[in-house]
Amino acid sequence: MAAGEEQSREYLRRHRLPELLQRLGALLLFHRPERPREFLIQVLERVRAGRRAEGEFPFLMDEANVDAMFSLLDVLGQGFIRPAQYREALKTLGLSTEDLELADDVKITRRVFKKGMRKKMLESWSVY
Amino acid sequence: MAEAEEEDAAPPPPPPAGIYAEERGLFQLLQNMLEELLIHKPDDPIEFMINHLKQNNDDAPRICVLGPPASGKTTVAMWLCKHFNAIRVSQETLLFKEVLMQTEEAKAYKERNQKIPNALWANLIQERLSNVDCIKQGWILEGFPENQEQAWMLQSSGIFPRHVVMLYAPDTVLIERSGGKRLDPLTQEVFHTTFDWPSDPLVQQRLVKPEDLSEQEVSKKLLEYHRNFPDIFHIYQKVLKSINADQPSVDVLSKVLAFVQTRHRSAAPFTPRILFLGPPGSGKSLQAALIAQKYDVINLCCGQLLKEAVADNTKLGELIKPYIDSGCPVPDKLVLKLLTARLSALDCLSNGWVLSGFPRDVEQGKQLQKAQINPNRVFFFHLPHESIMERLSQRRTDPVTGERYHITFRPAPTPEIQARLRQNPRDEEENIEKRLNIYNSNVKALEDFYQDAFYVNADQDPYVIFEFIESCIIKPLPYKKH
Repeated sequence: MAAGEEQSREYLRRHRLPELLQRLGALLLFHRPERPREFLIQVLERVRAGRRAEGEFPFLMDEANVDAMFSLLDVLGQGFIRPAQYREALKTLGLSTEDLELADDVKITRRVFKKGMRKKMLESWSVY
Repeated sequence: MAEAEEEDAAPPPPPPAGIYAEERGLFQLLQNMLEELLIHKPDDPIEFMINHLKQNNDDAPRICVLGPPASGKTTVAMWLCKHFNAIRVSQETLLFKEVLMQTEEAKAYKERNQKIPNALWANLIQERLSNVDCIKQGWILEGFPENQEQAWMLQSSGIFPRHVVMLYAPDTVLIERSGGKRLDPLTQEVFHTTFDWPSDPLVQQRLVKPEDLSEQEVSKKLLEYHRNFPDIFHIYQKVLKSINADQPSVDVLSKVLAFVQTRHRSAAPFTPRILFLGPPGSGKSLQAALIAQKYDVINLCCGQLLKEAVADNTKLGELIKPYIDSGCPVPDKLVLKLLTARLSALDCLSNGWVLSGFPRDVEQGKQLQKAQINPNRVFFFHLPHESIMERLSQRRTDPVTGERYHITFRPAPTPEIQARLRQNPRDEEENIEKRLNIYNSNVKALEDFYQDAFYVNADQDPYVIFEFIESCIIKPLPYKKH
């Protein structure tokens, strides 16, 4: 591989640009704004603000969505889900499940679920 | 009345993601941004991306106009600048009009009659092109790069044109032309004693003969150009077009303009949604079948769909049946319901479709639009009246096998079959005239409605037509003027 290409790939890796572009694409396709350029500017400005802890990152899912997701997983309405389900949910959203130390019989309540989700989503954006 | 108003007031459902992405050119938008990121590799990509998006210069022209001396580069470059309101950068503008960091140094070389080194030119160009006006409005680089080294230097500073116009003409023509070259010192415009004489007498008086234009000088420059040309051609091959400069300037300019407005083929996902419109007998169904077979898109013919609905005894089919039986045209509302249902089926959405024979008038076209069905390629088939009559009036069908024949173009193989051939009443002369009249009364309005349509000469060999249609579908649509 030529030096220039190697440099460019390293640059992309370092700043996690492919993931960022994929998220931008996902946000665009989900919201389908009338003016995509302005929408992208707003999203990136929110990332910048979130980075400086001035505002919220542009999460694809808000609190209501996370709530709904929990209800979908908790089919029987028991008020909790299993760690395996929790892991699957994180994987579906493309969030990392690396540092998740949970025994297999721990009950994940709605509150824990939401807090965990939020923490993971925040982590995923803070690399930018 | 109130119901119609309500229908208009409710917001239309958002378009499906694929169509939205295609219409807004999302792929190109993100790809351009990624390109810029890789060229500049900023430390703060987020900040860079925000600024890039705000600049909104994806469509600003980035053109190089190259060619041997006296090929008309200045004329072409100036005309392009006026057309696009872009910035023209050439040897003279860099040395005499601008004041850049290294202008003095460059001028010193010129004074001493020495050739200005490539690195110096590259720096001057790079500095000029990073000015806000070039970034915002786009640039036309005239006469650069002159050789491979300059091209590489420009490339490493991130300057790469989107279109390269390469003018060419035989050497004899060029040497002759340079003899008549005249310059307007005020506007820097180039004229010619024979081919391009200004009409304004004031301008005529001002014209001077440019310096360094002896026949010897020009031959020397030509030689050097020919030496450097193959390398440059090789570097810019993908974005380059050679245009013959040995023709009237209007022709040269129109060819240049057509070229710089094309978009290069992109890797963006593309689902064809094609309309074939044209008089009966023009070959729409044949071409549709060929396209469907080669590209795996769904082939839909309006008439066929209606008959299938009736045959399948669907709910809609029952509503349609009385009209088909009595020979009356099926009302638009029913046809549209049928079409929208079919076109929103999964196979149409993912593979794309080609529709022949609908819409027949602007009203139907508008209804199609309202139903959020927007074709991305529209073709009008053109066929002279006599050819239509010839093709249709000689159609015959064999009632036993169902084979279709044509008296002139595809005659039945045996006299036995020939004897039993029958003609569809639709194909009788007066019925053909009726159908044609209806088509002709609607076609002008349809052509106005579908502004970006392609026009197909249907009076040719089917495979020639097919190749033309294919190229129109595969190449991205050209830039529209803002």
